Amino acid sequence: MIVGDHAVIRAADLDDSPLLHRLYDVSKPRSFLLGPSREVLIPTRDELQEVLSRKDLLSGVFFVVEDKQGELRGCCSLRGVTSSAFFSEMAVALVDEADYATPLADEVMDFIRYGGFHERKLRKLMGHCLDREARYREFLVRHGFVSNGVQREMVYALGRYFDLESLSLFRDAADDALQEEAG
Amino acid sequence: MALKARVYIRRAEREDLDTVVSWREDPAFIRFLYGDRTRSPKQIREQIVGMLGRTAGHTMPNGIFLVVDSEKSGPIGLLSIVNIGWRNRSCNIDTYVVEKVRNSFLAAISFYRVLEYCFQELGMHRVNLFVYAFNARSWRVIERSGAKRELLLREHVARDGEVYDMYGYGLLRADWEWLREDFKSHFKGIDLLSMVAQRKQAAAVPEAAP
Repeated sequence: MIVGDHAVIRAADLDDSPLLHRLYDVSKPRSFLLGPSREVLIPTRDELQEVLSRKDLLSGVFFVVEDKQGELRGCCSLRGVTSSAFFSEMAVALVDEADYATPLADEVMDFIRYGGFHERKLRKLMGHCLDREARYREFLVRHGFVSNGVQREMVYALGRYFDLESLSLFRDAADDALQEEAG
Repeated sequence: MALKARVYIRRAEREDLDTVVSWREDPAFIRFLYGDRTRSPKQIREQIVGMLGRTAGHTMPNGIFLVVDSEKSGPIGLLSIVNIGWRNRSCNIDTYVVEKVRNSFLAAISFYRVLEYCFQELGMHRVNLFVYAFNARSWRVIERSGAKRELLLREHVARDGEVYDMYGYGLLRADWEWLREDFKSHFKGIDLLSMVAQRKQAAAVPEAAP
């Protein structure tokens, strides 16, 4: 468990399923919900519980984020590590999208960067956002992510197509940004 | 212009296994399609067997594999339609053609036809194509189809100890409609229905006596 000034980050647990289910909101498509074929996946509560019970699948890749009062505010993950090219996909999903502009979200990104670049020795982290996720995109860009481009009409949900943007953060750029922050 | 080249695409069958496996001898086949050097020949063979295996008729497959047949040379390539998303109506296409026809018009015809198969037969809305930045021969063919280069993925794939950039292309149905009209007006007989008719005609012609 990582205890920061604003956030508590810990491995996801079976008991988290009711609250995590709030993130799987069919009325708010998010990049976090996309599966391998970039389709929106909305699991049932039972399916979510089943996944959360698989420690072997989730260990080290899926975490929940709580505030200091113990309320669950979202989750984050490092998934699909491509070891040969040393990169991984990351995602931070916060229940309230306004939270992306808060220090709590910054601490989650610090955790993701440390886990990806220093613990797993990755070269690159990749994130994705749908065109409706303006706040999430701002959050990624604020932390040094650079756009790789936009896949037009990539994701179908709510009766329309959404564009999907891909963004990357390289370890060198992240280290430079951290040094700048440190002055 | 009437199309003279006789090249067909068809679903891959178990009988194609030996041919597809023999393409592993081509370094390009491994380099472009099966680049994980930690995998053994047996594992690659098993993957190919899985690709050519049957899919139950009532399921929506997430991969369809087509063989390119030339009237003169027999099987000359493999077209993989993978990561099919039936909800998004999108898929990825990987293509392989043997070296001797890689620069020929046959490769372009095959590529056109697999696009037609995706949009007209599978009802896709979008086709994704990922190609190494150094593989200019491939991405030029892709760009001629009207696909837009949407992604530049820097240092994205590792091959032979080097890390390379990759391009991501997208072709939407609207892009495809434009290409289709353009090709049909220039190359009579390039469409899939004409291909089927040509194949039937070829099968009906008795072989000449020796």
